[in-house]
Amino acid sequence: MRLIIALFLILSPALAHAADAVALDSSVFVERLVTAAGGKSRTVLEEPKIVTPGDRLVFVLQYRNTGSQPAKDFIVTNPMPGPVAYQGTNDAFAQVSVDGGRSFGALAALKVKDMDGQMRAARAEDVTHVRWALRDPIAAGGQGKLSFRGIVR
Amino acid sequence: MFELHFWAIKNVRLGTIAPLLVATATVSFATDAKAAGTTAGSTISNTATASYTDSGGAPRTATSNTSNLRVDELLDVTVVSADPGDITTLPAATNQVATFTVTNTGNGSEAYALNVVTALGGDQFDPTATSIVLDTNGNGVYDAGVDAVYVAGSNDPVLAPDGSVRVFVLSTIPGSAADGDRGQLSLTAASKTATGAPGTSAAGQGQGGGDAVVGTTGGDGSATGTYLVQAAGISFTKSSTVVDPFGGAKIVPGAIITYTLTASVNGTGTLTNVAISDNIPTGTTYEVGTMTLQGAPLSDGADADAGIFVAPVTGPPAVPGRVEVQLGSVASGQTRAVTFKVKIN
Repeated sequence: MRLIIALFLILSPALAHAADAVALDSSVFVERLVTAAGGKSRTVLEEPKIVTPGDRLVFVLQYRNTGSQPAKDFIVTNPMPGPVAYQGTNDAFAQVSVDGGRSFGALAALKVKDMDGQMRAARAEDVTHVRWALRDPIAAGGQGKLSFRGIVR
Repeated sequence: MFELHFWAIKNVRLGTIAPLLVATATVSFATDAKAAGTTAGSTISNTATASYTDSGGAPRTATSNTSNLRVDELLDVTVVSADPGDITTLPAATNQVATFTVTNTGNGSEAYALNVVTALGGDQFDPTATSIVLDTNGNGVYDAGVDAVYVAGSNDPVLAPDGSVRVFVLSTIPGSAADGDRGQLSLTAASKTATGAPGTSAAGQGQGGGDAVVGTTGGDGSATGTYLVQAAGISFTKSSTVVDPFGGAKIVPGAIITYTLTASVNGTGTLTNVAISDNIPTGTTYEVGTMTLQGAPLSDGADADAGIFVAPVTGPPAVPGRVEVQLGSVASGQTRAVTFKVKIN
């Protein structure tokens, strides 16, 4: 199994869309638990070679203001790919939707209707969209990275 | 459940290649025990959109590229015995059916090779497997002449993800097997694409054009079926009492002899079609209407009840009279007692 990391995918110059002053790039990695010689295990991110149900994915969104002016009120929305169940994010300010993107909030505060019509607390796999709203404008040349995790259903 | 152990990507900057190895020895996750899962060959596509306000106050949008991942095929299969317990059988019995269910727990359509092993430890005899039969008509039970006999490489069962098939193994039990002996056999189903250590992959061999990768089952599975010999035996005893015309027990003309015939079934299991037949001794005459079974009277005629008296033939050739009682099925540990009376001539 190759553990080579394909960051160059993120760094591709093609991500600069001519019409957009802010460019957004999507990439995906597979997260694997690798047990090293001493029995110690660690998590590594690989370029996806073999992906099967149960594998953990990390979706990375890279944004960059390629213009000469700041961009304000920057909001990124990422619908969950169908075969992937949401597994969290370490972007504390991210919000999620469990109703197809109509409303967003912290997962712990959201509820969904159960099969028997009762409302229950939403779970990670109920998430339909992930959204990030940046408070501060992105300065010209500014950049950043957003990410979330999923598991192949 | 899932615990929030987050990874972190450190030092990522455009224009530099940063290591994405993330340190932690404590990351642990619950395994998702989903059936089949996303079908092999499916594409996972991810696209994000952004909105923002430019310096002139105009709303703008941006759409990311779409990152695509093709889901590869996981090779997994389970085999379970579908018999509720031991399969009861008899020594030298043929076509004894052991039933199994083979299930494709992978995420792609897959063909399986079937194999039976009878030389297993921990049992008292090895059944001889004579054929593997597929439940072609899908009714879950073996139908001789209807369900197709499995021929390796010719009609290997092909199962959709989560699909399953009943498989019957027909065996002959050795004649030397004794009551209470057990004999085991195992059925193995192996993915035709690949088997081996989990993670072993076969490039381009997956459904939908992706790779095939051996899952946690190793791409094969097996289960054991057990035959249990329940050989019942039967023993007969015959006893008699005599009452002479004078109130004693002397064997004199006119004395009445009462015979008691007892059948005892031993071992395990049940004997079927048990019958008792006893000739009327020479020099005696059957006393009409004296036959009983378990104390209940039986008529002498050939009718609905279990007993019949067959009259003697004077011959030649001479045939003595006899009583016959049909006992039907008798389980082990049970006895049946038949009585009848004769008069000494």
